Amino acid sequence: MNTSAVEKIIKEIEQIAPKHEGHSVGTVTAVGDGVVAIDGLSKAVMSEIILFEESNGKKLAESLEGGGKLYGLVLNLEEDGVRATILGDTSRVSEGMTVKSTGEVLSVPSGDELLGRVVDALGEPVDGKGPFKNPTMMQVEREAYGVIDRKGVSVPLQTGIKSIDAMIPIGRGQRELIIGDRGTGKTTVAIDTIINQRNEPAETRPICIYVAIGQKESKTARIVEQLRQENALEYTIIVDAPASAPAALQFLAPFSGVAIGEYFMDRGRDVLIVYDDLSKQAVAYRELSLLLRRPPGREAYPGDIFYLHSRLLERAARLSDEKGGGSITALPIIETQEGDVSGYIPTNVISITDGQIFLITDLFNKGIRPAIDVGISVSRVGSSAQTKGMKGVAGGLKLELAQFRELEAFMQFASDLDKETADRIESGRRMVEVLKQKNGQPIPVEKQVATLYAANNKFFLDVPVGKVVEAEKLFSEFLDGQYAKLLAGIRKTGQLSDDAKKEIAKAMDEFRLAHKELFSA
Amino acid sequence: METAYAQALWKMVERGMEPKKAVHALHEQLTNTGRASLMRRILRAFERIAERELRKGQSTLTVAREHDERHAKTAVKEVLAEFEVESKDLKTLIDDTIIGGWRLEGNGRLIDASYKTQLLELYKRATSAV
Repeated sequence: MNTSAVEKIIKEIEQIAPKHEGHSVGTVTAVGDGVVAIDGLSKAVMSEIILFEESNGKKLAESLEGGGKLYGLVLNLEEDGVRATILGDTSRVSEGMTVKSTGEVLSVPSGDELLGRVVDALGEPVDGKGPFKNPTMMQVEREAYGVIDRKGVSVPLQTGIKSIDAMIPIGRGQRELIIGDRGTGKTTVAIDTIINQRNEPAETRPICIYVAIGQKESKTARIVEQLRQENALEYTIIVDAPASAPAALQFLAPFSGVAIGEYFMDRGRDVLIVYDDLSKQAVAYRELSLLLRRPPGREAYPGDIFYLHSRLLERAARLSDEKGGGSITALPIIETQEGDVSGYIPTNVISITDGQIFLITDLFNKGIRPAIDVGISVSRVGSSAQTKGMKGVAGGLKLELAQFRELEAFMQFASDLDKETADRIESGRRMVEVLKQKNGQPIPVEKQVATLYAANNKFFLDVPVGKVVEAEKLFSEFLDGQYAKLLAGIRKTGQLSDDAKKEIAKAMDEFRLAHKELFSA
Repeated sequence: METAYAQALWKMVERGMEPKKAVHALHEQLTNTGRASLMRRILRAFERIAERELRKGQSTLTVAREHDERHAKTAVKEVLAEFEVESKDLKTLIDDTIIGGWRLEGNGRLIDASYKTQLLELYKRATSAV
């Protein structure tokens, strides 16, 4: 081809070149600690995504070597410019760089193809399984549904943990805080709840979202592996903003998680979302706010730290039938220091949520797992979602345990106890044992009902305290093997009928005969 | 804080005060309040404001080669009104890294019709579709 032909082709292409749209632009005037000050961008809006123009002054080949587009998020609108956070590698931004406004607010991909995947706070896959093909984009910051669009909590969300399902029941659409010191089993409670959803029928099974904020990558990897082994990953989405991620991504991760969840809720599905944990998100937000030069308040947290958590947790809801009836149940986690629940962030989140599950170090060290303090744990709306069967066997359980704890303390000072008190203590000690549960082993609700019915009827009173856990496990297996029909009935109806009670009593007698060695006390 | 002082200085001069007088008035005020050491930082902030204000009235047309200028100026004729710039006030810059086409920047707006940007977009679309 000769030169004139080439020139002709170029001319032709130039004539049919698309119309170019203008962008509002600004210039980076300062950059540091993941935050940029930008001069210009006068039409930028809050939470708008901006694009850093890295190719300016660079040759095409150099520009192609760069690692994809670099975005920022507008967080402060100021008199002569904006302040934004960099959603990526800070070292790629330099002073004088042009920044383009995109006119879009931050969105993340969502849809069925995200199930079983691990994504970052921007919804980008990080599990090496390739990009999403046809996702629906959901806005990260969205107003929560209003009063008219909601309805009360009435469907239970089974955690598979006896002490929770019996005494601190959680309903679909509820926000139940899991709070405790480090190493008390907060994540375990949340993960067991996710695993337990495999016992739900596929059509009503909640989609689970686990948001890891500021966690070690090794911990998240372990959780992913555990969920995979338990066949729970297929209905779970992991949003990972590890400790190594910029503060902006740690602050955004819970919002991204709930935005992903809203896709399913809007389509009438139930969603369970775990925020592990919001204390780290608050710390990330504090870091970001200080870098953005927002005025610091108590403990240097910004003034809107309460709003940060309230607007996040308000997005958990049970929608009315007109809106499809979907729900988002939130299990936020808060880490306390030395058991101090009166800290700034814990009290904020306690006041926002519909109940709390307190995990106590002392109980954990005594070998009581899960280390839930049922005396101070509460569920404000969950009881209306509890099945009749569970309500029947769990009524009075909390009181009995609370009385036992009081007597247990008293027992250390008194040498002679009357028979009634001694019996109550013996019964309480066994009940504590019955409620013990290993991690990663959630129990279906029907088995919980049967076991608690047996325990209420003094079934374990003749079993030495040290053998109660074993007896409970064997009894559960016995019911599975011999009384599967009974369990299926309890599950189906959600009730414990008189016939079912008689059958359990029969099962108790048969088990007692078959395992005489356990009943030697 | 220095930005606020620099802005005040800018406004004093803009409203007709003699520059020398304005600086002395500011210096005196700072000395009286024990903040004279802020002067250097105020200077830097003032320079930034000046740079920004000067940039406001400027528009730059970037082309890859000198002989592309005429064609580019014809192409941007329609959009110049949006930029509130006269064709004769347009500053032209030669930057061979844009390969071809043109880039018009000014008044906080940018229209990028460079070949480099189009090729980069094409590359990104092609590679992300794989």
